[in-house]
Parts: sequence; C-alpha cells; structure tokens
Amino acid sequence: MKRYLVLEDGFTLEGDSLGAPTIAAGQLVISNNLYGLEQTITDATYNGQIIAMTAPAIGASGIDPNEYEAINPTCKGIIFNSVALTSDNEHNQSLDDFLVSKDIPAITNIDVRALALHIQEFGQLKASISDTDDEHAIDQIKALVIQRDLVKQVSTRQPYPNPNSGKKIVIIDLGMKYSILRQLSYRDCNSIVVPYNYSVKEIEELNPDGIIISNGPGDPVNLGDTIETVQELQDKFPIFGIGLGHLVIALANNCQTIKMTLGHHSTSYPVKEIASGKIEYTNHNHIYAISDRGIKDAHFIVTHICPTDGTIEGIRHMYKPTISVQFDPEAAPGAQDMTYLFDEFLDMISSYERI
Amino acid sequence: MAKEIIDGITMQRALTRITYEIIERNKGIDNLVLVGIKTRGVFIAHRIESRLKQLEGITVPVAELDITAFRDDQETNQEKSALDIDLTDKNVILVDDVLYTGRTIRAAMDAIIYSGRPKKISLAVLVDRGHRELPIRADFVGKNIPTSRKEKINVSMSEIDGEDKIEID
Repeated sequence: MKRYLVLEDGFTLEGDSLGAPTIAAGQLVISNNLYGLEQTITDATYNGQIIAMTAPAIGASGIDPNEYEAINPTCKGIIFNSVALTSDNEHNQSLDDFLVSKDIPAITNIDVRALALHIQEFGQLKASISDTDDEHAIDQIKALVIQRDLVKQVSTRQPYPNPNSGKKIVIIDLGMKYSILRQLSYRDCNSIVVPYNYSVKEIEELNPDGIIISNGPGDPVNLGDTIETVQELQDKFPIFGIGLGHLVIALANNCQTIKMTLGHHSTSYPVKEIASGKIEYTNHNHIYAISDRGIKDAHFIVTHICPTDGTIEGIRHMYKPTISVQFDPEAAPGAQDMTYLFDEFLDMISSYERI
Repeated sequence: MAKEIIDGITMQRALTRITYEIIERNKGIDNLVLVGIKTRGVFIAHRIESRLKQLEGITVPVAELDITAFRDDQETNQEKSALDIDLTDKNVILVDDVLYTGRTIRAAMDAIIYSGRPKKISLAVLVDRGHRELPIRADFVGKNIPTSRKEKINVSMSEIDGEDKIEID
C-alpha cells in the first residue's frame, strides 16, 4: 500500500506502508542512527515525533525486547529509506509485527536523502504519515499544534525503586531511558525513580545522596514545576542533568534555551571536553540547546562543546555540586565513551560528602 | 610484580575533576598559586594549570618546590632557600603525586612558610594511599587507593616516564 509523508510546507514524498495503517502527525526529526533500532524507537525523547532514519538501509531489523529503553514506544511514526522486512534472528519479533502491535505507522522506500536536504534547508518542520498528499492533508498538518505536555505523557505516574546497596540516587523521570537505570545498577546504586512533578519535600523525605534529572521529550520551558523543584534542590544535593534535564538545570539558573535549526540525532556525534581538549563520541538526541548568553552570569563553566557547530553540550556549576550534559552518556544506542560520567557523578557525591 | 591499577585516561579524568573542585571550592581562581613538589608534583601542577587556562582563560602561576633542605629524615648540607614567587596573602594549592606518611607535605609547608605567609594552603594529590604519620589530609584527591605498607605505588607521567599510569608493586 502506498503512503505519503506530508510536511507542513507542502513538501511530500511517497513510499510503501509498514506497521500500523493509522494516520500520524508530529514533529519530524532526522536521525543518523545506523543501528540500535529498538533503542531508538523506544526512546521516550522521541515522544510525539516522527523519526526519519537517514541510514540507506536498516538491515538488522528484528526487535529484541532486551534492548527496550521504555516498555511502550511513544514516537508517532518512522520513516525508512529501505529496511529488511524479515527478522535477522528467529527469536526476535519482526519490525512490522512490532509496529503493528504498538500501533505505530511507518513508511519505507522513501527518498530520505531528499528529505534530509529539505530539512537542512528549511529547518524543523511538522509532518504527517497520511494516505493522501492532497491540499487537505497539507492543511491538516499545518494546523497541528505540538503538545505541551509531552513529559507528563511519558513520566512515571508513581515513584518506584530499583533497589541495591550503594549510593541512593533519586531520578526525576522526564522520559527516562532505562539505560540510565542500567548504568546506575552497574555501579550498585540504590535508585528511586520519581514523577516529573514530585515535590521537593517528597524528594527530601527519600534522603538521596544525589539526584539525576533525566532525558525527555519536548521544550523545557513547559516544565515550570520541575524547574522550580531543581532551583530548590541544587542547594541541597549533588545534581546530574541529562538531555532535557540539562536544559531544565539551565533554566533553573536563569539561562536561556534555544531551538536549534538542525538538531543532533546520531549515535556517534563528537563532543570536546574543554579542560583536556579531548574529543569523544557519544549518542546525541536533542533539538534544543542552551544559549551561551548568560552562562557566565549563572556561574556555569562550559565543560563540553560539540566541535562541529559549537553547541554547548556540558556545563558544571562553579560553586554548587551540579553537572549536566546535553548528550546521552548512557549511550543506548551508540558510542559508550562517556559512560564514565556516571562515575564522575558518584565521585562528586563522595567529595561533596567529605566537605 | 607491578600491576597497573590506573590507566592514562582515568588519570587525566581525575586531574580534570580536581581542577573543577579547585574552582568550585575557591570561588574562582584569581588569587591562586599552584606549588608543585618535585618531580611529578610539578607536572601535575602544570596539567592542572593548563586545564584552568582552558576553562577560565586565566594563567595561574606555578612554582616548583624542592623540599630536600626541609626534610626531617636525613642530614643535608643544602641551604634552605625561598621560592622565587611572592606567596604573601595568596591562596596556595600544594600539589603532589602520592600522599603517604605526610612527611613530604610537612616539609613542603615548612618551605612555603619559609618563603612567605600565604592566606591559605590546600593540598591536592593524585593518589592518597593512607598510612599517615602526621595529622595531614588532602583537600583534593584524584584516587583513594588503600594499600599495605609493603606495597609500592609508582606514578608514571608522560612528561618524564613516557606514559601516564599508576602501578602497584
């Protein structure tokens, strides 16, 4: 069956249907991920978005449930250039069955290069997966309003523990990838995941050694409650921000965030550590970033930048035990160069305790 | 047999973390002087200096300290001499590779006070291996490595030893 990718500026592409036969609309993001399909699809940072994979061919498309980053994927749809339709491993579910069961539509055999070039020229656009590419479909996607409660949709409703015997880490879930918990488990952390609107008082009652503000979807300015919570918490606990959590920390300190013309969505983007000049590769997934205006006044040191476009990728507070990074140090999918940041965070907690 | 317990990358990360902590705890680096204890403490001090420069754009003075004349465990004919840098009212960070008995640090503090009256002296070490014989403790520690007295800790640095690593023997 033929289906169409319709962009809000009238640009359309034709391809073959895959997955659920439903109609979907959302923010279009271009992902350069070559592998880690399960992790990409189930990453809650993509909540409400249509992911276009620029890889020319996704060969290994079987869905391995051991690689989920969330139990239920929340992306709106997926666009492929071409994709293998049979599973590479007989124990894995096929991509098509998986998408049908999760009610996610997809289109394959789309000219993704043309799409990526268009996005490079015209920036962030909304898009829909539709049965037609007529005026009506274009008008509909033009009228689509991007939801403001994307975090509420994916954050946990109830707090839950991931018990172990080490340091107690509270994670404020804005759309947390399970790999954050995995990295904490490797380090014996006694973790508790709490909803995005959990109060300062409730968090204090848990008596954490440190707090992680997780990754998540959407624009950080919509997270007023969480921003206020972080403002109070950062005077009391060591804090580590990841992805959306990083932007929330910036806003909590009166910095500004910007929407990038070209987002970073790739399993191996370079990041430069300013202090040592070292370049490492890591998974990026963001269309917002911190503006460099006001960074100094907020007493932040820029610790990491992206050398290709100068985006601020990591900051550290000069006087408070707060570190945060825009990229995904937990990888999943992608290069694991930066997983040591979890060790750094635990070291920071230890040295904070010694003072 | 020597066993590598910390590799070059981990050592560099530890130095980066110490740098951040120095900025954090001193509320900036305006009044700072780094004093490296010869030999490897000097290289560590220079590495911290270059990181501070990358992060803050300010060059912090680095002094090299030879403590031989101030040691308490051997007779020496060496003349006590002052550092060729004014330490008066400065915020001194003493830098060494391994903190063990604390006697080296005591001698270094003697040498610093012989040279002037700093506002404050803090201690940064790459490795704290325990077994203190004096009431001394480090403010900035790269790695705590519990050891027995029989063991030896060898710090190698690329400037003098060709590569960065820490070994236990």
